[in-house]
Amino acid sequence: MVVVNKELCTGCWTCIPYCPVSALKKNEDETITYVDQDICTKCNVCIRNQVCPLEAIEEQPYDNFKNEFQHLMSDPTVSTKGTGVPGRGTEEAKTNDVTGRFGKNEFGICIDMGRPGIGCKLREAEKVAMAVVRAGVKLEGPEATPIAKIMTDLKTGKLRDDLLETYVLSIIVEGKCNIKRLPDVIKALKEVEKQIETVFSLGIVARVDENGDTPMFDMLKELNIPRPFRGKINVGLGRPLVED
Amino acid sequence: MTHSLHRSGSLESLKNDFVWFMYQASGINDKNIKDKALQFIAIAEKVNSENWGDIKTGSKLNHDIEEITNKITDNSRFRGVFTKREQVVEFLKELKKRNLGLSVIISGLLDEVLIACKEANVIPHTINYSLGVWGKKEILPEEDVLAITTMCGHHMVASNIVKEKMEEVKSGRKSPEDAAYELAILCPCGIFNQVRAAEILKDKQINNKDKLK
Repeated sequence: MVVVNKELCTGCWTCIPYCPVSALKKNEDETITYVDQDICTKCNVCIRNQVCPLEAIEEQPYDNFKNEFQHLMSDPTVSTKGTGVPGRGTEEAKTNDVTGRFGKNEFGICIDMGRPGIGCKLREAEKVAMAVVRAGVKLEGPEATPIAKIMTDLKTGKLRDDLLETYVLSIIVEGKCNIKRLPDVIKALKEVEKQIETVFSLGIVARVDENGDTPMFDMLKELNIPRPFRGKINVGLGRPLVED
Repeated sequence: MTHSLHRSGSLESLKNDFVWFMYQASGINDKNIKDKALQFIAIAEKVNSENWGDIKTGSKLNHDIEEITNKITDNSRFRGVFTKREQVVEFLKELKKRNLGLSVIISGLLDEVLIACKEANVIPHTINYSLGVWGKKEILPEEDVLAITTMCGHHMVASNIVKEKMEEVKSGRKSPEDAAYELAILCPCGIFNQVRAAEILKDKQINNKDKLK
């Protein structure tokens, strides 16, 4: 965990604006800084960038799974055992030209909980995961995505009870579904977005034709979702190429 | 990992913002990638990628290129930014010619990237579409701050430090370019577009000067 060395801190406040979740705070008598451990996500921005001119911010070893998991989800320079991918993410659409993870009649869903920049308690991620599972999404397993490692049941999206109050900078709920179920999933997300205390950024993965089109656009239109204008395009140069 | 997908800002500003990725697939084409990665980087440099890096080492803005390339392993994933569609076209053309076999991904405005694909004669395979931000959006910072913080999708660039840099630029204590650089080096993977950030900061400076007139 990250702590401020009281002997070294002079209360210059240089470090405070660098924390993405404002966990670096002035103490009661405004003499030194301290780390609010309830909201610190262990992202290590302060450590990595040496934001304290006197090196008063120090990292101590993580002594429990909860803190290690927070660090893993919040610090993108750390890799997850299993996926091998740095950060909390997966290869998702990025290698779909060679993995064929998402087929032509499927769509993938990437729900970036807590993004942009707000963070979230795992309880919020559980709500969203359970909602999309009920709507027909099959969640990715622990070999592909870190959140699955703390799920007690992949078929429901339920997370470990002892971790529900854990605060992370972000965590991704990932899965896939038959494209016919897209309206159900979007409706479920419209419902659950009203029940959470944070935000999420939503990505939908689809195989496309040579013009970048997909039947999904018509489905989104019927759901009053504007046609997307930003995307991450896998340009099909990976080999061996999956064409089916 | 979708840290390049959900960038905020005006369409005009986003037109000058492309993110590229080099990705090997675990268990398929992820062995002995160093030579391919070096070729990939050489192409990115040839077309003047403004920023790039390997998250395990850092970005080229505050690390020597040699240091980054010396540390390449089979787990390295490279990514970076372009500010012009023409760079994307040249990049894709060259990568297609070299046939390195690694997955190539370009993130940006669909209208811009799809045209670039056509011009480079590559065929999109799969797209991760951004459907925006959902949930309690009222707790988000203001749009001009988000336009900068979302350039590091991992959110290593805090909204408060962006506000601080905006103030420094507004008051003339710092140039937009210097402020943008100081924000960019907080992003360890090299996808922060410091050129676009400087433009956004410059707009704040101009708006402030107009107010003072």
